[in-house]
Amino acid sequence: MDFGLSEEQRLLRDNIVKFARGVLCEGAGARDRDQVFSRDLWRRCAEIGIQGLPAPADYGGSGLDALSCAVALEALGYGCSDGGLTFSLCAHILACVVPITRHGSDEQKRRYLPGLCDGSFVGAHAITEPGSGSDTFSMRTRAERQNGGWRLNGTKTFISNGPVADVAIVFAVTDAAKGFQGGITAFVIDRETRGFSAGQKFEKMGLRSSPVGELALDDVFLPDTAVLGQVGGGSAVFATAMDWERSLLVAAHVGAMERVMETSINYARTRRQFGQSIGKFQAVAHKIADMKVQLDAARLLTWRAAWRLENARTASMEAAIAKLFASEALLKTTLDAVQVHGGYGFMVEYEVERALRDAVGSTIYSGTSEMQRNIIARWLGL
Amino acid sequence: MQRLMELKEEMGATVKDFILREFLPGEAPENLTDDIPLISGGILDSIATLKLVMFVEERYGITLEAHEVDREHLDTVHDIVELLASKK
Repeated sequence: MDFGLSEEQRLLRDNIVKFARGVLCEGAGARDRDQVFSRDLWRRCAEIGIQGLPAPADYGGSGLDALSCAVALEALGYGCSDGGLTFSLCAHILACVVPITRHGSDEQKRRYLPGLCDGSFVGAHAITEPGSGSDTFSMRTRAERQNGGWRLNGTKTFISNGPVADVAIVFAVTDAAKGFQGGITAFVIDRETRGFSAGQKFEKMGLRSSPVGELALDDVFLPDTAVLGQVGGGSAVFATAMDWERSLLVAAHVGAMERVMETSINYARTRRQFGQSIGKFQAVAHKIADMKVQLDAARLLTWRAAWRLENARTASMEAAIAKLFASEALLKTTLDAVQVHGGYGFMVEYEVERALRDAVGSTIYSGTSEMQRNIIARWLGL
Repeated sequence: MQRLMELKEEMGATVKDFILREFLPGEAPENLTDDIPLISGGILDSIATLKLVMFVEERYGITLEAHEVDREHLDTVHDIVELLASKK
């Protein structure tokens, strides 16, 4: 068993950290305050290959394996203090690029992947609805058969990248009698499609530079060629997206945890109270020691889940374990970082308050912590 | 023909044993008939179905395609056995 990175993976990590620190951090506070999604930075990320990490080279991607993608996204989370931008990139890569790569026809890959990789397109994944969150497959969006295609009607909500998406994977009920296995179909849809529109954009507590909003489908006609995977195979497409998202989105969390931990160490070593650095007080030192323990555990769980994505029949339980642990660890680490920084931590200038606000969503999106525990329990036969 | 019948019989017993052990603990074996609906009847949810698929793939050295993992192919013990037998 080898826990080390290859030379290529180390180079990949170092390049992304250097790029992220040099290009993506400046102005992150203002983008958070003003809720600005930067198309310019999006294109800059594409220039170094971030959006196409797991896509095949034939379609403009880097063709990296899942574990190398995890290393890359961890580097992004570490180097980039704009948590919203990192989140948008992860949603794009893991819930749009990956499902099209894994389930798309040659035509769909040719049509969408080059633009999704080179930064021309922003991708989204639309399954959540006003009345169906954790109970995903109780969705009301319907696709009815009609003359060589499908007629879609419904509303999706809380869609990451929705307000700026050029391409979206949309799920709809195609056979209500069959339910989640065989009754849901995934479609790929362009922004310009008649009847497809972005609705309300939501203001959020954190990840504010990552736009989230509604998508409306009003009598949208899609040809059969828009079906992603098989008719009725939506649950397989969704499972792919969730396995990759839960395994690799948390890689970015691991990177963020390391950045926040280092910030806390630096502060604890330089901030002096009662005649010594505050890091000499066990109450502070133990908080930071716990950050390190959680960081290392989260990283190992993430790497295992990423490895299983391509080396095992399923990564479902391991992805749920990694997602649950890393998101809860990120939330605890950022909360402790604010406490270590004291009054300064509560101020916007010190950035740990933004890291905390960004972290709160991590235990909710891509399946709440409660749903991850349900999944783990089901795999244990409970 | 006789061999195929025996194979299906063995597959049916193996699949039933796995379902009873994993998803219906305490259930009387005679209640799990060949035609009782498993997915549409709520006995197998998505994770249970995946566990069953992993079990039969390993047990019989076969691979089920993504489009075969649905109610149409796996809703009853009879359906499952027919699918498995078609791959042997």
